[in-house]
Amino acid sequence: MRICIVLLAVLLVSACSVTKVEPWDRQYLSRPEMAWDPDNTTAAYRAHVYFSKEASSGGTGAGGGGCGCN
Amino acid sequence: MKQTQQKSSTLLALTSAALALPGMSGKADAAAPVSEPVLRYHASHYREADIERKDHLGGSRERYEIDTHQLGLAAPLSRATDIKLDLMVESMSGASPWYVQPGAGGKPVQAMSGASIKEERYDIQGRLNHFVSSDTVLSYMAGYSDEDDYEAVNVGFEFEHTIPAKQLTVSSGIGYSDDEVEPTQGKTPVSVLKAEKDNLTLFAGLGLVLDARTAVQTSLSVSDQQGFLSDPYKLVYIANQNNPFYADSRPDERRQWVWLTRFRHFVPAANAAFHADYRYFDDDWDIESHTLELGWYQNVGPTWRIDTSLRWYSQTAAFFYAPYFLSQRADGYASSDYRLSPYGALGLRVKAVKKLGPWQLSAEFETYSAKASYSLDDVDVENPGLVEFNTFTLGFDRVF
Repeated sequence: MRICIVLLAVLLVSACSVTKVEPWDRQYLSRPEMAWDPDNTTAAYRAHVYFSKEASSGGTGAGGGGCGCN
Repeated sequence: MKQTQQKSSTLLALTSAALALPGMSGKADAAAPVSEPVLRYHASHYREADIERKDHLGGSRERYEIDTHQLGLAAPLSRATDIKLDLMVESMSGASPWYVQPGAGGKPVQAMSGASIKEERYDIQGRLNHFVSSDTVLSYMAGYSDEDDYEAVNVGFEFEHTIPAKQLTVSSGIGYSDDEVEPTQGKTPVSVLKAEKDNLTLFAGLGLVLDARTAVQTSLSVSDQQGFLSDPYKLVYIANQNNPFYADSRPDERRQWVWLTRFRHFVPAANAAFHADYRYFDDDWDIESHTLELGWYQNVGPTWRIDTSLRWYSQTAAFFYAPYFLSQRADGYASSDYRLSPYGALGLRVKAVKKLGPWQLSAEFETYSAKASYSLDDVDVENPGLVEFNTFTLGFDRVF
């Protein structure tokens, strides 16, 4: 299964067709609502809540410690 | 010399603007150094629904209520370096699921901790981003978390490199957390007096700008946990024993794999952004999960934005989970924790954001409900401790 995931990820990226985007054409991409996490404070809070209530967590980076959440 | 400095300063500003793009940075706000200090504050109220009478065996029916304050500061340290500090303070009260035992007809019922738990948690995280060139960022992280019965220290390092010609960003990182649990001696017995665990995480990711309105990011991470991974406050019920109550007991190792893919697309006709995030999770406790979140970020006029998102989550059970046990497992592991049970969950979130000069104000509501029927797979017996909660958050950002 894990190998399938890696292959799927590689396929997904390699299958994406890329159109050249000039720096002056990036006004939409640079909008705040286009960020991966438009609000980092909210994202950190929500990740903490899900971490304490679900068996799965992680994926967005390397940071953070645990908690004794029940 | 002065002229050279001015040129490099202009170049950095231009390249920073070009790089301040999702898809060219693992984290959008790490694409360019912070140029002005920003202060953020969020106050949140989290409230779990009372456990239903039909599922309740004893103890308090009132579950957790948590007030959270988050204070964040991002500030430039130099032209190529910035620092971010985030403080989180939580005040918790309420009862927590304790054990599950068979009720009428063998249907599992939940016993809750009798006394209302009250505690506080403090967490501080720091991040230093250093732009070694216009294309490469090194980030150093450190954090500390403290509560009555738990203490954690974490450190991390991340690397991000952009290849502008390919519109591609590669990122990787490593994180380590050293945790210590010292359960509070209260009215419920605890299984250990003091224990330790640690967690090592490695990840690698790719971000790609597909066109002038679309970006995609995909990453793979692996985490190794070692040490005391059981819940010291929870018990399991084993029917064929003289004393049927045993301590929650889990393996002392766990390896987790996470594949996360995020998609962003701007729709100019609607003046809105569409978000789609998918996460696949797999571990050696036999837990496999899918998380899908779809979001619509709608601009309304020049100063308002309404964010709406729908989240669906589904997980399978840990191999040593059962609501209760008829006999002891051969390997000695056992847990009835609802978080290790098979279930699904649906969440809906709405947020309003208003810009007001240097201020940004926000109000947010989220509702979440976990049920066996939301699971991708058929679930024979639903854990009676599954949670429903609402959160309400008010916040502001102030740029100086």
